Amino acid sequence: MAGKEDKVLLRMKVNGEEAEVAVKPTWTLLRVLREELGFTGTKKGCEQGDCGACTVIMDGKAVNACLVLALQAESKEIETIEGLGTADALHPLQKSFIEHGAVQCGFCTPGMLMSAEALLRENRKPSLEEIKIGISGNLCRCTGYTKIIKAIESVSQKNREALTPFRGQ
Amino acid sequence: MQNYQFHGPRTVGEALNILSERGDGCRIIAGGTDLIPALRNEDILPDSVLNILEIDELTGISEEGDTIRIGPTTTFTEIIQSQVIKRSLPLLVEAASSVGGPTIRNRGTIGGNICNGSPAADVLPAVVALDGELELQSKALGTRIIPAAEAVEAPYQTRFNRDELLTGILIKKLPSETRYAFEKLASRNAMARAYMNISIVLKLDEKGAFSDLRIVPGTLEAVARRMSAAEKILMGRQPEDSLVEEAADAFVGDLAGVWIPDYKLPVARSVFKRVLKRALNGSGVE
Ligand SMILES: Cc1cc2nc3c(=O)[nH]c(=O)nc-3n(C[C@H](O)[C@H](O)[C@H](O)COP(=O)(O)OP(=O)(O)OC[C@H]3O[C@@H](n4cnc5c(N)ncnc54)[C@H](O)[C@@H]3O)c2cc1C
Ligand code: FES
Ligand code: FES
Repeated sequence: MAGKEDKVLLRMKVNGEEAEVAVKPTWTLLRVLREELGFTGTKKGCEQGDCGACTVIMDGKAVNACLVLALQAESKEIETIEGLGTADALHPLQKSFIEHGAVQCGFCTPGMLMSAEALLRENRKPSLEEIKIGISGNLCRCTGYTKIIKAIESVSQKNREALTPFRGQ
Repeated sequence: MQNYQFHGPRTVGEALNILSERGDGCRIIAGGTDLIPALRNEDILPDSVLNILEIDELTGISEEGDTIRIGPTTTFTEIIQSQVIKRSLPLLVEAASSVGGPTIRNRGTIGGNICNGSPAADVLPAVVALDGELELQSKALGTRIIPAAEAVEAPYQTRFNRDELLTGILIKKLPSETRYAFEKLASRNAMARAYMNISIVLKLDEKGAFSDLRIVPGTLEAVARRMSAAEKILMGRQPEDSLVEEAADAFVGDLAGVWIPDYKLPVARSVFKRVLKRALNGSGVE
């Protein structure tokens, strides 16, 4: 076991790739993602669990990266906004956010998208109420939420249509 | 944050050894949703932190005869999604659903909610209303079981010894036809600590009179406890409107002057009536 001042080796998977990084036991997952690994798409807001800007998906569940000690992420699979889509191949949620004007300053957007993605993986066709609950841990100071909810609803609606069997005339 | 050593044991045995060796300077971390903000604010300065989330024995929900055993590191999300809890302890689903938002419920644990000892905890009062018991383990004392009602001594202070680990929450399945309700009053529907919450568990006999009743508010007092004055008025009698008014007076009378300012008492009174009526109108567990 390492002494008090020592760094400890942390191994985890970030966006499908193995990451190995020496961390201090006091560091949070948020700090490691942003400052050691360069995944700055994950935003640092309140660092108290209140704003959701730091939301990432850990072993399939949306979590606040500011409320996970880095060493608690040992052997876990982390997904950040950088793993969701790329500029040339946007994720359906990202496309929908743009189409619906759900992004203003953009600070909340990565966290919103990760919460929405975690929701849609568990529930492909969430209701309006379920969408509101799904993003209830994410603060947005700009949009008033309506367009964000519409953007997620539209992806949910497409999922619904894709799953509805064709009934003919 | 002050530096500390990080321990990540895989078994309860290893955890108990570390707790017994490290003594006072060691803090247990589960979901960290209470502990990490406290570490960051340097409210607490441990010299080691013991992560219990990788101990398989400490998580999950199982049925042992008429008792349900909930591992302390079971998250609120896992409680909400559990068919066993939905069927036999639905009050816990309501209380757990009221905590924070999805990310907090994915990380926050029932054990952390109890051991943090916050007066504003939402799930701890529900566990008290369900007559829950806590299994504690340490190298010094072995295993002991205490009522959940005795867990917290003062705000943020439990009666556990420093080397003790909460290893199980034990709750008897609610008998059929038991009714229940949980209500939380907060500034918003999500991500808000309770101004007050009230958990109620009750049973009516064949004449429609209260034959079992437990009323436990949160945030209204320093430590969650049963409201015996109101319970006494209702027990053995039928829930007529005038009796409910009398019980509501007793409920706030019991609270007055202790922990909440007088101006909140009328609100507490009406939340009490609302949650009691909801419990009475509910269908009860099967
Ligand atoms: C944004 C936000 C919103 C919140 N909203 C709510 C809310 O609405 N309602 C509510 O009730 N709470 C709320 N909380 C508080 C918190 O999420 C809960 O109290 C949660 O249950 C704590 O569990 P945890 O596993 O994260 O505990 P931790 O932070 O890991 O631990 C809390 C305390 O318990 C001790 N501990 C944990 N497990 C054990 C064990 N097995 N044995 C002995 N000691 C142990 C730790 O040492 C620590 O002192 C909120 C927190 C945040 C950050
Ligand atoms: S930075 Fe993590 S919730 Fe605000
Ligand atoms: S777009 Fe600015 S905070 Fe949401």
